[in-house]
Amino acid sequence: MGAAGLAVAAVSGLVVDIRARRFGPETVLGPIAFTLAPGERAALLGPSGVGKSTLLGAIAGLDRGFEGSVKRPEGRVAMIFQTPRLLPWRTLAENIALIPGAGDLDRARALLAEVGLGDAADQHPEKVSLGMQRRAALARALAVRPALLLMDEPLVSLDPDNAAAMRRLILRVLDDTGAAALIATHDRAEALALCDRVLALDGRPARLAHDFASPLDRAARADPDSVARAAAGLFRAAPDAAA
Amino acid sequence: MTMLAEAAPERLVRLAPPALGMLALLGLWVWSAAALDSDLLPGPLAVLASMGREIVSGGYLFHLAMTLLRVTAAFVLAMSVGAAIGLALGMSRAADRLFSGWLTLFLNLPALVTIILCYVWFGLTEVAAVAAVAINKIPNVAATLREGGRALSKDLAEMAALYAMPAHDRLRHVIAPQLAPFLAVAARNGLALVWKIVLVVELLGRPNGVGFMLYAQFQLFDVAAILAYAFGFIAVVLAVEWTLLEPWERRASRWRR
Repeated sequence: MGAAGLAVAAVSGLVVDIRARRFGPETVLGPIAFTLAPGERAALLGPSGVGKSTLLGAIAGLDRGFEGSVKRPEGRVAMIFQTPRLLPWRTLAENIALIPGAGDLDRARALLAEVGLGDAADQHPEKVSLGMQRRAALARALAVRPALLLMDEPLVSLDPDNAAAMRRLILRVLDDTGAAALIATHDRAEALALCDRVLALDGRPARLAHDFASPLDRAARADPDSVARAAAGLFRAAPDAAA
Repeated sequence: MTMLAEAAPERLVRLAPPALGMLALLGLWVWSAAALDSDLLPGPLAVLASMGREIVSGGYLFHLAMTLLRVTAAFVLAMSVGAAIGLALGMSRAADRLFSGWLTLFLNLPALVTIILCYVWFGLTEVAAVAAVAINKIPNVAATLREGGRALSKDLAEMAALYAMPAHDRLRHVIAPQLAPFLAVAARNGLALVWKIVLVVELLGRPNGVGFMLYAQFQLFDVAAILAYAFGFIAVVLAVEWTLLEPWERRASRWRR
């Protein structure tokens, strides 16, 4: 990657210190505190409904109703939402070019080509598959040269082939950009395949139950068998971490 | 084969059923007029002749233009105010709870009452006439746009916020396209309602316009002239529908499958 220019500004890290997030009488997030160094990749692992998306929303600055503080790194924060959230009345390239700081349509097309969507740049989102929409959302996120990239279940609802392709693409762009990444997932294997570190959420309100480094080096993450073995070991090491 | 050549038969297939329907209505009219043989139901040719006489006299186009001006003013006013109120109600639950009763009340207020009150309070003036029409239409626009406001995607709003899209870009690229179908419905229904109410307003308190002329011809029992004015105005409204509203609606929704 390089033609489209995916360099990332030098950044400080992410510092999260959330005491509570309440919705009415219910507290959904308990005390959660962690830091993420520049370029570090961490998985937010936990069962569906535990509060991963709520936590990502707070970190992204979309939800300011929590008690505590979030210090985001200098530079832009980008997010790949669980649904791609592309404007359906705009082409994929226009969806990118409309974002402030993303550049013009030519750069948008170049970014789409980087994620394998060069031929679909002038298609509308509804005319391409979910996997392609996710890739377009990834290209949109990369367009702002993020210091921190948040991803909410980026592989969910994709068939195995598309999920594998998306996984490889995420690893490649993270290697190329050097952006810090926080990836919410309910899948242990996905967490290990993508991240250096696992932050396991559990309980109600959700708390940080476990925080440990991935047992796999980056080269081993490309091997599905290694990932599966490590995921099984992870389950033994942290049986209450995730479903 | 060119695209134009391919498109022509498709257009023919699309337009044939409504054209046949209109021809059937015309046939029914011709047959009824011939069967009745009375000035109470003149045939199409008699109506055309009456229209020709009114045009030559110079009054027809003047009255048509006056009505069109009132329709335009009331329509723009009603769409602007109604859309703003509707969006505010749709996007704020508190505002909706507070004012939804108002909306229901004004939706059920008879048009005639509003017109009479406006004339009584503000006099038989142009402002009163346009205001009366707009007040009748505003609740309909507000009710439609309230649904549009409720249907705005929170997901897209969050995306726009995350990527720091400026307010005018959000309005133009994120919000307006979502509201387009609701605006189209409000505009189409609005146009149909506004021009009907404008005729009543003119009949009750204006010295010109199609409504005034319909009342004048009614007093003369000149049904041919009444139909001539009515058809002329229907033609204008249909022209607006076909040349402005429909193309705009097609353009706004061309991204759909």
